[in-house]
Amino acid sequence: MATAVTVVDEAFWGTTATSIDALERELARLRRAAVAHAMERGQTLARASVLNLVVYAEREAQARRAARTVADLALRHPSRAIVLLADRDREGVVASVQLHCHVPQSGGGQPVLYEQILARVRGDFDERVASVVIPLLVPDLPVFLWWTGTPPSDARHLDDLATLADRFIVDSADFARADLTLPEVAQLARHRMGITDLNWARLTPWRELIAQFFDVPIWRPFLGGITGIRAGFAVDMDGHDIRNSQALLVLGWLASRLGWRPVEALAPAEAGGLLFRMQRADGAAVMVRLRPRFERGLDTGDVSGVRIQARVGSDTAEFVIKRAPDQRHATATAIVSGVVRAERVVPLPALGIRELLGEELAIAGNDHVYEAALAALMALA
Amino acid sequence: MTVTLANPLREGLRLARTPEPACLVIFGASGDLTARKLVPALYNLALQHLLPASFAVIGSARRHMSADTFRAELHDAVAEFSRTRPINEEVWATFARAIDYVPTPDDSSYDQLRQVLARVDRDIGASGNRLFYLATPPAAYEPIIRAIGAHGLRGEGGWSRVVVEKPYGHDLQSAMRLTSVVQEVFREDEVFRIDHYLGKETVQNILVLRFANSIFEPIWTRQYVDHVQITAAESIGIEERAGYYDSSGAMRDIVQNHLLQLLALVGMEPPAAFDDRSVRDEKVKVLRALRRIPQDEVGALTVRGQYGPGFIGGERVPGYRKEPGVAPESQTDTFVALKCFIDNWRWEGTPFYVRTGKRLPKRSTEIAIRFRVAPHRIFTRKASEGLEANELVIRIQPDEGISLTFGAKVPIQGLRIRSVNMDFGYGESFMVDAPDSYETLILDALRGDATLFTRRDEVEQQWAFVDPILAGWHEGRPELASYAAGMWGPEQADALIARDGRTWRRP
Repeated sequence: MATAVTVVDEAFWGTTATSIDALERELARLRRAAVAHAMERGQTLARASVLNLVVYAEREAQARRAARTVADLALRHPSRAIVLLADRDREGVVASVQLHCHVPQSGGGQPVLYEQILARVRGDFDERVASVVIPLLVPDLPVFLWWTGTPPSDARHLDDLATLADRFIVDSADFARADLTLPEVAQLARHRMGITDLNWARLTPWRELIAQFFDVPIWRPFLGGITGIRAGFAVDMDGHDIRNSQALLVLGWLASRLGWRPVEALAPAEAGGLLFRMQRADGAAVMVRLRPRFERGLDTGDVSGVRIQARVGSDTAEFVIKRAPDQRHATATAIVSGVVRAERVVPLPALGIRELLGEELAIAGNDHVYEAALAALMALA
Repeated sequence: MTVTLANPLREGLRLARTPEPACLVIFGASGDLTARKLVPALYNLALQHLLPASFAVIGSARRHMSADTFRAELHDAVAEFSRTRPINEEVWATFARAIDYVPTPDDSSYDQLRQVLARVDRDIGASGNRLFYLATPPAAYEPIIRAIGAHGLRGEGGWSRVVVEKPYGHDLQSAMRLTSVVQEVFREDEVFRIDHYLGKETVQNILVLRFANSIFEPIWTRQYVDHVQITAAESIGIEERAGYYDSSGAMRDIVQNHLLQLLALVGMEPPAAFDDRSVRDEKVKVLRALRRIPQDEVGALTVRGQYGPGFIGGERVPGYRKEPGVAPESQTDTFVALKCFIDNWRWEGTPFYVRTGKRLPKRSTEIAIRFRVAPHRIFTRKASEGLEANELVIRIQPDEGISLTFGAKVPIQGLRIRSVNMDFGYGESFMVDAPDSYETLILDALRGDATLFTRRDEVEQQWAFVDPILAGWHEGRPELASYAAGMWGPEQADALIARDGRTWRRP
């Protein structure tokens, strides 16, 4: 194997191995050492792997960040993590595969065995990447592929890795033009693997809160009488960094669940906003406005509030969820015929990538509701 | 009101069905259970967005106090006893707005309660849905249930349900009488008898382990199982419960409900579905097949013990009779060991050993399935010296998990076999805080799912098993044995199992 040119930080990524066999031997040695170490402290150490996690990154910073998240996550989902660092398309670089591995020690509490491998593949990455990953996978365990950045639409390396994977994880918060790139994510379903969008996972508490309004039997009829939706999403102070994927997903979700059809996209009043007219199943119009707003403390793209307006006969209703200024809570308010009928504060912390991934990893099947929301957005585009 | 279809936005969310708006009425609201368990559980449900969008709690007890005082007391209780801390003041503030208090010192005050319920119901649009929770001492159950009926506290239009805490009666007769009083006001499907063990994740997992896997069920029979041991050990004494405990004892406090439930879950046949009727039908069937111990065999098949002074974790602790509030010549059992049989096709001749006690060396609840030894020995006696029969252990608390022991060759030249452990720990595999059993159970009662609650015939079968043993004890058979605090019970318990050539596990 060719020697690497750039040095990889061995303190972080662990010892180098010269081949995949050597890497497995090294991991076995590290496991034994960890077990012995635990026994000295009177603890037992079980190798309880529940999944293979393959992380794809194109920059070392991304790879490092992902590796840290994965190490935290290992406490919940003991796994073997294979971090692929792809130095792609770099001209003049000698094609090489560099392998590193270590068995991180969890601090305190129950010790859990977790193995991390870095495979740095340089040069003509696309063809060889799957051949590196396949022998490293622990047999019989599901394979989760976490793609950092925007997945390319037609690329051999993605296809090869996707065929190995049972589940594909992306974060559409990173997508710049979500209205164009979200449909790309929908295309990934062709690989017959479950797709997880961390940005969708961020919406779970919002979906729960919205759904709860309509668990109340006397309010449920308003679902059929929605006339307008307004959702705000956070932008930076200058209003340049427009990432509307979360707000679009809220809309796609409501539209797919309630059977709305898109009619036309209108010109919005404010820069970066979106304005649509949609049609309910009964033919009545729903006006949808997605507005960028500067909100201190919110990550760019995060939904800051949702307001649902409805009319059934002569009764009007408004269902409002608004983030509190502390950005850790939200207020959910139901106003029927101008009177506040229920109002409560609920926790709505910004979830870190670790919580999001942890929550999603607990679900093993396909998320049909997400796929339906994407399909509704494709009709809008 | 329009007929309501299913909520289309629910699909794909964690709970397929959430509770409808409702009023929860807690009787015994100034008591310990409310402060330590119920309200912390409700608050944690609110934190997880699991309570309905409109929801109210009305506390009631004999004591006079203002709603503000009540809310302040609950706030402090949540701050102290919630599994998530510190208390989230913002969430508490809106949750507390929905809490009210109505004193019920006498019968006529229930009219006042009815008016408050009607008002709250109208305010939050609960459509008459009411859950009554009896968190009082058992003597108050009957008068409260009668008052619910007499003062028309059941709502109109919605559902009404009642949650009854343990102990449910103190023998078969009193349990049946309580049921008949309850049924003056509530139908059986509106009655939720709590056994908080059933709300524990690991207890529910017994059913998952047995019936979601295909490899365990075929060997879960007399052909493969040598015997079963069920242990519920506590290191604590009776704390401040002397008044209740001294009149009930370990048999009524633990065996009649919790341990017989565990036994039923381990021994039951596969239900046709995971719903309240199918699961409970099967549990009742196995409890009915549990061989009654006739009074003249109580001396041979049961052991009752009481702890004397001793040491727990290096600390000197007093004997039971020296505990505050306990009579100096008390005959109350703080330890029980039993050998019993399930008379059916699956378990014929397979003993189930059950034990529980206070002031045992450590806290541990577990079920151990001990399998038979391999039918034909091909390895020399010397080689297999360290080998024991296979054992599957379901640990319920603490360190929830499952382990399986099997023989493996020691990796040296020559042949030596030793028992090794294959271990699954909930903590390591899922690393989530399991919800408290009261959270699970309150949510289920609000949703009307009775699977994890005890049905009338279950309770009656449990008492029908326990009553003859208590009657035997009453005659003085066997003698009350004493054990030092910090030991695994009296030596008679070891003798009970040693007679069959077996030993208790050391949990």
